[in-house]
Amino acid sequence: MITASSEDLYKVEKKDLFASGHRACGGCGQALAARLVADAAGENTIACVATGCLEIFSSPYPDPSWRIPFLHSLFENISAVASGVEAAYKALKKGPVNIIAQGGDGGTADIGFQSISGMFERGHNVLYVCYDNEAYMNTGVQRSSFTPFGAKTTTTPMGNTTRKKNLPLIAADHGIPYVATATVDDFRDLQRKVKTALLINGPKYLHILAPCPLGWGHTGDLTVAICRLAKATGLFPVYEIINGKVANVLKIQEKKPVEDYLRLQGRYRHLFKKGVPVKEVAEIQEIANQNIERFNL
Amino acid sequence: MNKLPLGLAVDLRNVVPYKTGSWRTMKPLNIMQTPPCSHSCPINNDIRGFLRLLADKQDFDEAWHVLTRSNPLPATCGRVCPHPCEGGCNRRDFDYPLAINSAERAVGDYGLEKHLEHKKLIPKRKEKVAVIGSGPAGLSCAFHLAKRGFQVKIFEAKGEPGGMMRYGIPSYRLPQEVLTREIEAILRLGIDLECNAKVGVNIPMDQLTQFYDAVFMGVGAQLGVPIGVPGEEARGVYTGVDFLKLVNSGKSVEVGRDVVVVGGGNTAMDSARVAKRLGANVCVVYRRTRVEMPAITAEIDEAMEERIMFRYHTNPVKIIADEGRVVGLLCVQMELKEPDASGRARPVPIPGSEAVIPADTVIMATGQAVDYDGLEVQRIDNKWISTNEVQMTSIDKVFAGGDAVLGLETVSAAIGQGMRAAEAIEDYVEGQVESRLSPPPVIYSKDLNTYYYKKSNRFQREALPVHIRLKGFSEIYPAFDRSEITREAERCFSCGLCFNCANCYMYCPDNAVKKGKSGTTYEFDLDFCKGCGLCAKECPCHYIQMTLEK
Repeated sequence: MITASSEDLYKVEKKDLFASGHRACGGCGQALAARLVADAAGENTIACVATGCLEIFSSPYPDPSWRIPFLHSLFENISAVASGVEAAYKALKKGPVNIIAQGGDGGTADIGFQSISGMFERGHNVLYVCYDNEAYMNTGVQRSSFTPFGAKTTTTPMGNTTRKKNLPLIAADHGIPYVATATVDDFRDLQRKVKTALLINGPKYLHILAPCPLGWGHTGDLTVAICRLAKATGLFPVYEIINGKVANVLKIQEKKPVEDYLRLQGRYRHLFKKGVPVKEVAEIQEIANQNIERFNL
Repeated sequence: MNKLPLGLAVDLRNVVPYKTGSWRTMKPLNIMQTPPCSHSCPINNDIRGFLRLLADKQDFDEAWHVLTRSNPLPATCGRVCPHPCEGGCNRRDFDYPLAINSAERAVGDYGLEKHLEHKKLIPKRKEKVAVIGSGPAGLSCAFHLAKRGFQVKIFEAKGEPGGMMRYGIPSYRLPQEVLTREIEAILRLGIDLECNAKVGVNIPMDQLTQFYDAVFMGVGAQLGVPIGVPGEEARGVYTGVDFLKLVNSGKSVEVGRDVVVVGGGNTAMDSARVAKRLGANVCVVYRRTRVEMPAITAEIDEAMEERIMFRYHTNPVKIIADEGRVVGLLCVQMELKEPDASGRARPVPIPGSEAVIPADTVIMATGQAVDYDGLEVQRIDNKWISTNEVQMTSIDKVFAGGDAVLGLETVSAAIGQGMRAAEAIEDYVEGQVESRLSPPPVIYSKDLNTYYYKKSNRFQREALPVHIRLKGFSEIYPAFDRSEITREAERCFSCGLCFNCANCYMYCPDNAVKKGKSGTTYEFDLDFCKGCGLCAKECPCHYIQMTLEK
């Protein structure tokens, strides 16, 4: 099924298909992720982007950052639009072309959930990339169903009380051939996953953790370091699910306590009273431990 | 003008991108900084530079030229230097420091093997400089001056050049052959050498100051100073310096069966190990403990490996002689009290603890002094030459360096002093008053992002087995495998200088890091850089730093 040599897959791509001049904040994880995805996918790609930060900062007229065809749609229907693009190519007997639907966590897991589920179920040959920054950052940091337990948003000022929706596993349970998670710190791994996914026929889902300096309350220079901690604490497991089987789980080399991760971010500041962690921290640690056990990190 | 597609009001191909650089308050800068190895090195060798050449290109040739920009004696230093560079290495806090000393020796040996020649920076100038002494300080000063075109003449009191390196370091540590060839390479820069010419005795100092534009005194500390116990005039009692000089000049020395060495410095260690190789049972007597010994730690370890006995808390009281020949050493036990001015514990004798150690030879390695015969310069404590901040002595246009100024120090410290004196002499001759540029700040472990480095083992040099070592004066560490040295060089963190990891290039969310024209450097596109600092944070070697936008 996968025809390209593994050497090609591991090659790091930098083609500047997502160019400078976009209006993202300094240190934006999503901008970094979008560029890595576009460069990995290459020129023969159509980017369908849902409403959200990415669309706002990358596509103001007249100087969009995209150097590949770009299609903007509503918050809730980008999967449906991408499905339509794919169906149109099929009907016109054109292509092949890489179709990548992209959205933030709100557009994917809350508002766009119905359409993404439909796209998976109908089996369109589309790669869906979700940039997970764990809240509605575009509209001013409101809670989404990807907001992790304990995180402060403007709609959960005392900290979120529910746990994060596990969309990669939901996607995998649609029976789609390829699901993967990635973070922006390991660009080699991220680009390999994009390239692998594009070689597979059928719906694919790639979940990328993309820190938001503004919403998470950290300085822009920590974007990569925070991703690394999210992996090392076990809060963000990195794995692939190929044809329903979990594979290539990234093992934690040196396990860190969740406190290391939480203390760097302003959205968790209320979990430390005068520097001493409150009981919610123990529950977040419990979530990390469950992840480690579940995915054998 | 081309007709625009339907629905477009502006031709997107002509749109100038929005310059996000105006948002910036901080901007990234590539700043080359001093690595701690160079900072700790008394010669400030460009260690990072030569290691990178070895790691990237396996280019020993160029590495030798980089190293000899500052250090004219790499093969010698690679053998005898106590390598403070490795103590400074930032890798020490990560796994193990780099084997810089071994790499230096490998590069130095390569230079000797291929007969590499030093390059002159300035072909010729008319000023003449006299250098007194051909030890490490004198050679280094002469080398740096000759490279800058000065006409240099070295006056050496002894028969052969090299100073303490020739007469004070035993050949199991530094083979004479290596030293001779390195000195020859230095002299090929056009330096005159006059041996058996002791300034102050054969040649008056005034004559030098009259005929030369500047004079450098690297006279060293050649006189052994005994501690003054009764019986020192007996036969079989040597000072450490004299003993090593006798052995190194190839004279046969009868040491007998038992040798006692007094002292805990490097001369004591060398004397003890030489005596051991001459077939004696050797005992080192020192009045404090191992911790306070001024000798290089590795030297003490190797001496212990060679089954040399150490008696701590022991101080000689009297040398016992029979018919004018030494037969034993009366010692007293000491106990350590509160520290003295040198910061070391002060030993006090315990009454009634006297004991005799039988000895056929006693070697007093208890101190050295400058031979001031015929030299009149201002001194500190009547011991060492007093110099100002540019190493000029109390006499105008006479500079000094090395052991005679520093007290007892290492070969590399003397080379460093010679180098700085050469710079000072150049400034003096040219009438420069402005100080030279000071090096950039030093990088420490806390500045580095060590996530990107892999842990690895340090290169281990292999020593000869002890029973083979003791059979003669062959070198303890045989030549190294060059491929292992290049592999060791790859461990270098390259603190403070880009090594082309491309992190900044890949991580910039704004695509504002561009490849330079050569393809191996990276530049910042300040039109678009928002100053987030991600590149600086993820730069492993702290080459990128954030500075305030003006």
